[in-house]
Amino acid sequence: MLTGSKTTFKVRQMAPDVTERMLSQSGLNSRSREMFGLRCLPGECVLQRAVLVRKKLSAREGGGWLAGTLFCTHFRVAFVPQESPKPDENCDPVLLGDHDVALASIEKVVAVGPSRTKLVTPNSSLKFTPEELVLYCRDLRVICFLFDRLTPDTQAVEITYTIAKTYQPLKPGSVLSLQNAALGSVEMKQFLSNRRRDAHMNWFESAEDWEQELERCSASGWRVTAVNDRFEMSTSLPTLNVVPQKVLDTELKKTFAHFNEGRIPRWCWRHPRGSDLLRMSSFQNNIYHEKDDVRNLELILFGSQSSLCVVVDLTEEMPSPTDIQLAHSRLRALCLGDISASVSVPDDKWLSTLEGTHWLDYSRCCLRKAAEASCLLRSGHLTVALQEPEDRDLSCLVSSLVQVMCDPHCRTRAGFQGLVQKEWVMSGHRFYSRVNYHRDSDKEEAPVFLLFLDCVWQLWSQYPSRFQLTDDFLLALHDSVHLPLFCSFLANCQRERCKRTQHLSQSYTPVNGWRDVLPRVSSLDPSDPPLPPVWDWDLQYTRQRLASFTQPITPTPPLPSLPNGNLNTNQDALRPSDSVPGSVFLLSRGSFSCPSSLLPWRGGSAGVYKKSHRRAPSSESLPGLERLLKACALTEPPQGLTSSSSSSMGPQGPLDPYEPLLPLLLGPCIGVWKECYLRGALHAQAFSHPVSANQPHPVEKLAWEVQRLREKLAQASAAATDVQPLAKRAEPQRRTDSNFNQNTNNGTFLFPASRPQGLGVTRAVPPPLTSAHPQASRPAPPSRPSHRDHGGNNKHTFLFGHPSAAEARSEQRYYPGPGNGPKLSKNNRPSVGS
Amino acid sequence: MELLADVALLPGEERVIDKDIIYICPFGRAQKGKVFITNYRLYFKSTDADLVVTLNVPLGVICRVEKMGGASSRGENSYGLDITCKDMRNLRFALKQEGHSRRDIFDILFRYAFPLSHGRPLFAYQSQEKYEENGWSVYKPMEEFRRQGLPNGKWRITFINKTYELCDTYPTILAVPFKATEEDLRRVSAFRSRGRIPVLSWIHRENQAVITRCSQPLVGMSGKRNKDDERYLDLVREANGTSRLTIFDARPNVNAVANKATGGGYEGDEYQNSELVFLDIHNIHVMRESLKKLKDIVYPNVEESHWLSSLESTHWLEHIKMVLSGAIRVADKVSSGKSVVVHCSDGWDRTAQLSSLAMLMLDSHYRTLRGFQVLIEKEWIRFGHKFASRIGHGDKNHADQDRSPIFVQFIDCVWQMTKQRFQFPTAFEFNEHLLVTILDHLYSCRFGTFLFNCESTRDEHEVRSKTVSLWSYVNSGSDSYLNPFYTPESGRVLYPVASMRHLELWVTYYIRWNPRIRQQQRSPVEQRYKELLALRDEYLRKLEELQLSDSSSSSHLSNSSPPDTSSPAASNPSQQHTHLHTQF
Repeated sequence: MLTGSKTTFKVRQMAPDVTERMLSQSGLNSRSREMFGLRCLPGECVLQRAVLVRKKLSAREGGGWLAGTLFCTHFRVAFVPQESPKPDENCDPVLLGDHDVALASIEKVVAVGPSRTKLVTPNSSLKFTPEELVLYCRDLRVICFLFDRLTPDTQAVEITYTIAKTYQPLKPGSVLSLQNAALGSVEMKQFLSNRRRDAHMNWFESAEDWEQELERCSASGWRVTAVNDRFEMSTSLPTLNVVPQKVLDTELKKTFAHFNEGRIPRWCWRHPRGSDLLRMSSFQNNIYHEKDDVRNLELILFGSQSSLCVVVDLTEEMPSPTDIQLAHSRLRALCLGDISASVSVPDDKWLSTLEGTHWLDYSRCCLRKAAEASCLLRSGHLTVALQEPEDRDLSCLVSSLVQVMCDPHCRTRAGFQGLVQKEWVMSGHRFYSRVNYHRDSDKEEAPVFLLFLDCVWQLWSQYPSRFQLTDDFLLALHDSVHLPLFCSFLANCQRERCKRTQHLSQSYTPVNGWRDVLPRVSSLDPSDPPLPPVWDWDLQYTRQRLASFTQPITPTPPLPSLPNGNLNTNQDALRPSDSVPGSVFLLSRGSFSCPSSLLPWRGGSAGVYKKSHRRAPSSESLPGLERLLKACALTEPPQGLTSSSSSSMGPQGPLDPYEPLLPLLLGPCIGVWKECYLRGALHAQAFSHPVSANQPHPVEKLAWEVQRLREKLAQASAAATDVQPLAKRAEPQRRTDSNFNQNTNNGTFLFPASRPQGLGVTRAVPPPLTSAHPQASRPAPPSRPSHRDHGGNNKHTFLFGHPSAAEARSEQRYYPGPGNGPKLSKNNRPSVGS
Repeated sequence: MELLADVALLPGEERVIDKDIIYICPFGRAQKGKVFITNYRLYFKSTDADLVVTLNVPLGVICRVEKMGGASSRGENSYGLDITCKDMRNLRFALKQEGHSRRDIFDILFRYAFPLSHGRPLFAYQSQEKYEENGWSVYKPMEEFRRQGLPNGKWRITFINKTYELCDTYPTILAVPFKATEEDLRRVSAFRSRGRIPVLSWIHRENQAVITRCSQPLVGMSGKRNKDDERYLDLVREANGTSRLTIFDARPNVNAVANKATGGGYEGDEYQNSELVFLDIHNIHVMRESLKKLKDIVYPNVEESHWLSSLESTHWLEHIKMVLSGAIRVADKVSSGKSVVVHCSDGWDRTAQLSSLAMLMLDSHYRTLRGFQVLIEKEWIRFGHKFASRIGHGDKNHADQDRSPIFVQFIDCVWQMTKQRFQFPTAFEFNEHLLVTILDHLYSCRFGTFLFNCESTRDEHEVRSKTVSLWSYVNSGSDSYLNPFYTPESGRVLYPVASMRHLELWVTYYIRWNPRIRQQQRSPVEQRYKELLALRDEYLRKLEELQLSDSSSSSHLSNSSPPDTSSPAASNPSQQHTHLHTQF
């Protein structure tokens, strides 16, 4: 592919005079950051621009072409549509506009001329005026710009050069310069340091955070330990970990040595029926097990349960990181259908080639493993311990997937963010090496996190209405991984992350300080920009885009209130009376076994531990466990094969909210995430449909309608209580409100992780119903007009803009007929067109 | 009899036999139960208390019935019946090895499932169903022509085929070029296979480009020419001033050449001002084998790991793609103002697929519930798609070489188009349920709609007076066939994406018998829509209640906002908008 660049000789050097090429230098006048219609970030320079360019819109964007101006800055390639509203000077900076792409995301620049296409590299030269410019991105986007006949030829050539020169394949230096280009200005640093964190999600950084999670799950018998406070026990574990209450810190310290990298069994999550989910690395075998150690090891492995522990092996039947990397690179090659590459997969071989990537197989493996674990958990009162040699890849994936399946809270945006924070960021998934930002860890590169997003998408596509987050959110997260700007991803564990922030906050750099420990980040110096967390979405995307991250109204039925937040109805099943640690089984390849070598301290020399006692319960609980797994295989009992009388509620209907969302794994049920992987399929004709192209789905419109009604209702009832301070109606409502918060483990969508309880402050005035919704995470819907959305662009003016006849008609569908509240509809109707 | 209580017999349906039987369910254990056979259906209900399995199979669906095992064969469930169905499933029943229990049921099934082979009438002729609406009047040819703006100065309506003397497989009313005389038509019909001359199917309102359909010219080995045919096609071209008429031959090039041996062929260079394009769609035999392979991989078991390559090896989706992309090319030509002629060999299989799909893309009228019925009536039923031969209604000869799922393939293509509605949800008025219903009754023989091969035989058998139309049934309960998101618009052309990357197997039809594939009566999106509607009504009601009970305090509301909304959301314009709404 790169052969082209070798054969071409340099016709000329690109304009050497850098100051001349910088068409503008913003930041001098901080109040006016607009340059040629592009709203620059503080300190961002426009290097080149081309006018009268058309951008090809994806099917999702409505298809067709959009005319505007193309810019290249140090940080991004920006496109400003002709009819875009004038940017608001006072709003906060947003890194990427709707049509922009960061230079760091670009993998390849291809110029298409009248008779040829050419891969443009920083060193290559063009012998023709490009008619089209195609940017292949690392996140699988393919962005295509068409130069109009009216685009000055020089501009078309220059911007192609500029982009090719500036984007540069990532390497350590370029990552830093990119970070500086985006976040490096004084103004930006100031802005970033003043940003508040999203208070609606759990960050799992403080002991309070973890305690709140324990409380949410009603997980008694567990405590937060700070024994790894200085990373002395384990370098890759976070400072705070959750372990059984019974084990004292002094005892706990002795157990670290028994596990690979010191990653002892730690609590992740408790199922409402009382089972605990743990994760750990493999056992250290070459170590002598002292009697006391054995007791403690048993204690931390069995957790608060005493009878039964199932160790789920994550190496059997699962892809290795290398497999995942290979599958993903094949998938990329297949989906991008690169026009600069000579080979492309013929359409009639698409299905088998797709199968040959094994990407879908790997998604299926992970989903199956997580489904098995979920089925075990729902039985109640056992401990499921996920075990992976390093406990930093697939155990992140499976443990979080189990929680997405079982815990409705993890299907909200805030809950999901907390989940990723808990199981990936804090627990030490090696994002830095796996994403390979600096192109210096090719052997380690493996998009395990992207495989996780694919699995979540598979679940989402099978049960869309059980999620509050949308596929658009997953897509945004997918794309953000490729942007080397976020502290969430730019480290391999909490320790590395801490080094960086401590480093930044220190006023001087110790000469031989951190550098010895961390050669990787040696290029850091105090002037490096502070990196924001990926969850600071306002920084990344416009409000319109953010609005599509969540469904406005989540159709989950209200949960029954649980006494003590526990669903322990069948306590008898698998629970012997004594509190002695009991049987351990290994789940591997879909069946249970009890190999003597499973727990190294139990076999052979260290077998002092009550041997005789253990045999009996083992054999008893085995059939019970197998029954649990079967339930996983046959998720739905075959209903009437022809009639579907019982399915009036449908599989999506109100069920027990704690029943896991078990994925269907049959061939046709695992699909391709087209909105992500096939975004760049240029050969796909746009399905342009005039009415629907730029409008929200009717369901979305209705959902916003209901959302507004809900707000209105809340206001009305709140107002009613203002008038009658002791109104009877509002009082119980408030009480249930606070009940909900106490009972946070019910994980209802309506109150995602609001944290007043965790902070120990009872608000003087309980908020009305609406305030329980995170306001920040519910920005204006796409249809709502904002101040800068006027003008001829009828894209987002559906509800209130210029209703056509068709719009008015469909609008009326949402209002009651004349018989149903005429007064209300009279009030409503005129405002529709206003 | 008590078991029949939960299946409402149709008027005219009569019980024939009932028997204890074991249903060998391929998705679980065998089910003991009772089977009932009427003159319309086979109904099975298990006697198991905990999990009731029912089967409700119209006899018309049955393709073949075979005995399995003999009276002497050993083993449980080895003595019974094996029933192959046309709708992608097989049923196996086991009987007790005593008496002649099997012979009775086998004979009855054989007689009632294949009435035409036994000189008995199809159920459609026995049915006494009554509906408010008469579905036979959904399509009125003259009305449809008038809707398209015909006749006009260039195109006229002819009744030359009133008694089917010009072409016995064509409808009675045809639209032809204004300048072509009746004599011309007769001479052209001599040169077209089975007299199926080029006639107008659809005309573009603005640019007057037309879709005309016909059969292959009878060129033969010797390369015969027919001046009248050449002049006739030139008249078609001339009508809207198209510079070059595009003739789409649906077949692969080699097949067209091979057809010369049997007297057929294709238009050669002698046709001036025209271009010939082959669309590479395979014949009925290839399609039949493809669907057979598909059935093998979806029933009863579906693979997990090698699913995609198995699916690819059936070529079913590839054939779908070829049909769709052919239709796109037709539609694209017409929307750019060029008239086209579409034909295959006889012009009743691939031609019907192409013309009707192109019309569905071009004309939003056909995307409505009734418009779609018109489309099927017009392009398929009236123009003589050989439903009787392709489906084999009531015929015991299951191995007939004329059988082919051409119409199923068409409905699949329509589904592919509506499927892409998840991104563009408002284009079609009907939903998936309608498509499945149409396919179910393609086989059921309950309605007269899909019976017989062409209009002349239909007249002979008085179908329209003696049977009920499927559209009577559909239009009497049309709510369940409607897409709630449909927004009427007289829109532009709707091009689906015809690429393997974007086509999907119609799982909810082909694999619907598998209990693991959820039988979603309604898509989750529609489900959510319904829930939201309910929620909205509830909120409206509550608001109204509040409004009534607090009417005394209403003046307060408009200027006192609750304390918490002074946070960011209150500055949100839409929030203010809400305030404006709420003037109680």
